[in-house]
Amino acid sequence: MTELQDTGLRRRADDAAPSITDLIDEETVQSIAQEAWSALVGEDEFLVPLPGDLPEDAVSSWVDVRGPWNGTVVITTGRSTAEQLSRELLKEHAPPVLDEEDIEDGLGELANVVGGNVKAVLPGPSALGLPVVGDAPVAGPDTCRVDLLWRGQSLTISVQGTAGALLDQ
Amino acid sequence: MKILVADDSRVMRQIVIRTLRQAGYDDHDIVEAEDGADALAKVSSEKPDLVLSDWNMPNMTGIECLVAMRASGSAVPFGFVTSEGSPEMREKAANAGALFLIAKPFTADTFNEHLDGVIA
Repeated sequence: MTELQDTGLRRRADDAAPSITDLIDEETVQSIAQEAWSALVGEDEFLVPLPGDLPEDAVSSWVDVRGPWNGTVVITTGRSTAEQLSRELLKEHAPPVLDEEDIEDGLGELANVVGGNVKAVLPGPSALGLPVVGDAPVAGPDTCRVDLLWRGQSLTISVQGTAGALLDQ
Repeated sequence: MKILVADDSRVMRQIVIRTLRQAGYDDHDIVEAEDGADALAKVSSEKPDLVLSDWNMPNMTGIECLVAMRASGSAVPFGFVTSEGSPEMREKAANAGALFLIAKPFTADTFNEHLDGVIA
């Protein structure tokens, strides 16, 4: 009997989780995001599937999904767009000048809602992490990404597998 | 009637409160809690008639808060408003004594659907 050498890399490759593009498509991600925008940002707020240029000060919010599929659901947009989004979420409760905490809270909550609904269409049971805001986590090859415009401003949503990112390193 | 809204996101607490108003529940006292531990403390101190709680929160999750409430003898009506609505979570919520689970994103109609029998 041949004894196989045990390496972590081979184990990850052998037990490869399903590719995210086999589990969810761009149309589904966009549909989930649009539903969140209509309910939370405003019923006349539309996400248009067109690529745009993200500004240099782009900020991301994301939630991790842990289960049969492991990865992260990330929303990335310009800082001023994130501020406008938080203002729309707060509506009449938005102060004249939004502080950083409110901007991060708003963008984080959008990632939380989109991530929760992405998780719902992935194989379960799985757990959702708390939203995090900062510089975007690096996406590996196992990524389903949609490029959108909200009020003409660029916004991307990516569902990126952790396993793919590990194997790519 | 006093309603306790528990969510670690201030933005989401405002959205829940606004949706309560849009759904026609606009003459009730609202108390806010920023996590499960805060909600548990305010169930004792504020004596709400209904708790609307997020699930994933730091310090104490919504389901941990509900279990602790029921263990302490509190029978206050409790519903989840959460970004996750999987069948497993709905079952877990019901088994712990939750009346309903509203998945985000929600509308005023969703609130009416679940709250009309709960809020007088």
